[in-house]
Amino acid sequence: MNNLRIEGTVSSPFIHADASLGRLEMGGDSYPENSFELFGPLIDWLETYFREGGGPMHLELKLRYLNTSSVKVVMDIFDLLEEQHHGGRAVSVLWLYDTRNERVAELAEEFKEDCSFPFDIKPQQE
Amino acid sequence: MEALDLFDMRANCLRQRIMLCFNGPISRSLIEEIGHALRKYLEDSRISPGGAMDVFAVYVEMTQNIRHYANQMNYSEADGAATIAVSRDDAGRHVVSAGNLVQTEHAQALKQRVDALAALDKTQLKAAYKEQLRRPREGEQASGAGLGLIDIARRSVEPLQATLQTLPDGRSFFALRAVLTNS
Repeated sequence: MNNLRIEGTVSSPFIHADASLGRLEMGGDSYPENSFELFGPLIDWLETYFREGGGPMHLELKLRYLNTSSVKVVMDIFDLLEEQHHGGRAVSVLWLYDTRNERVAELAEEFKEDCSFPFDIKPQQE
Repeated sequence: MEALDLFDMRANCLRQRIMLCFNGPISRSLIEEIGHALRKYLEDSRISPGGAMDVFAVYVEMTQNIRHYANQMNYSEADGAATIAVSRDDAGRHVVSAGNLVQTEHAQALKQRVDALAALDKTQLKAAYKEQLRRPREGEQASGAGLGLIDIARRSVEPLQATLQTLPDGRSFFALRAVLTNS
């Protein structure tokens, strides 16, 4: 299946998804007015990936500020992962944050509370 | 017509410690542009990156709420206009205020909702936030589905304040004020 590559803007994160590696990277700020428009293609891509094979999915996130519209969609993505985790697939999240801004780690921690798959939150090495 | 007194406007801004204000129709790109100016200002001030993110986040949620409402109501550009101010209070804390025209019955319901949130402590606000996050979306709603107000309340260091001024045409000017940290 195809890889997905969406470059970032001031208000939207970069999204790089690689099917052969089973890997998804996202980073930057996310405060689009319409988060479905931005994340819709990613959700479709993930659903196709999960449907077509049994490979693992590792997320590496360097997301910083998320507006509530983006928070809602990111929660949907983690719910998809949770479902796959219960179905026996290897899924994991690594969220890297800048130690100068405690809000980012707090945000990641709140997502982690609702997930039972491996979810690491680590300071980003400059 | 009354002459525009810029000197008076300036004096008012200085007296009320307004560092950024805007009144007029807002677009998606204008929210970004003003947001960019706000970020730059916050970077240059002594506020921490986390504190700056709170101020910025409150600005984004308030202005996007105004845009969503105006779109949902099919308001004209002029009716969907926003009045936004970022200022500091006597203690040097950042204050983000935003107002717009709202149908009076919606404005009253909104004020009740804000007053209810203002009575909650941080733990209760977190519970309300998580509950709202788990609530199914109504249709193809693209917004944060009611999370915005709770997010604003969680980032604020004082209870949120909502005021409304009723106009003769069945609408009200609804204004929301959030006080953020100064550190």
